[in-house]
Amino acid sequence: MDLEDKIIASAKEIFSSMIMMEIDVTDEVVTGSQSLEDSISGIIGLAGMRKGVLAIHLPNSVAMAITGNFLGMEVTEINEDVEDAVGELANMLGGNVKTILSEKGRDIELSMPSTITGKHYDFQTTKDAERHVIPFVSDAGKFSVELQLEK
Amino acid sequence: MGKNVLLVDDSSTMRKIIGRSLRQAGIDFDNIFEAGDGLEALAVLEKEKVDIVLSDINMPNMDGISFLREKAGRANMKNIPVLMISTETGDDIIGEAKSLGAVGAIKKPFTPDKVNEVLGPLL
Repeated sequence: MDLEDKIIASAKEIFSSMIMMEIDVTDEVVTGSQSLEDSISGIIGLAGMRKGVLAIHLPNSVAMAITGNFLGMEVTEINEDVEDAVGELANMLGGNVKTILSEKGRDIELSMPSTITGKHYDFQTTKDAERHVIPFVSDAGKFSVELQLEK
Repeated sequence: MGKNVLLVDDSSTMRKIIGRSLRQAGIDFDNIFEAGDGLEALAVLEKEKVDIVLSDINMPNMDGISFLREKAGRANMKNIPVLMISTETGDDIIGEAKSLGAVGAIKKPFTPDKVNEVLGPLL
């Protein structure tokens, strides 16, 4: 199983067990920097043996649906609950990626998760980074998970 | 007499999910206390009767490993069991947590069944 397959398996497990939402990979190909509109991104940094950043990019509507499932309540705006839930999603994905890249877990450190939200923003590709962008689809809509690792 | 639990996680969403998972697993606590990091957890343990702590590792201000280390040095709380609930489940980190008194670990993501399987025997 290669790195992308492991990230896909990890994301599917997180969504099915914690959010009660089934997700699937789409065959879209994303190249270059991602231009995001009315979206929120959860981001976590990796440092140590492998350096990089993992992000999950969600349109606001998808983020609100996910947060609603997470918390068992209707969510109608991007608020602190949504930011917290998206940050925790990034944290869980980052933790799984850390385990994939470093079995014993001591030679890679994770940052605290953070979020970016806005009407329009770009998520830039770092020069010379090994980049994986995995597009997903759920009942609530499309989103993507992106991993950039220093070569 | 009922039992009390302390949930330690910087994510309020995750604290709610763990609380819900406890209920779904059929594990009833009289009181569920919450803390956003190790420092807040120590403050709760200083003033409340807590039977078990469920703690994240990767947290701001004081992480789960530092919390375990600090707690182990305080006579009034060193014997309260701590179960780690974290994305960080590498052998080295969990080994260090156990050497500081953690009684086990649950990997995020988890299901209510997994919580019951690990936590049930500790109560």
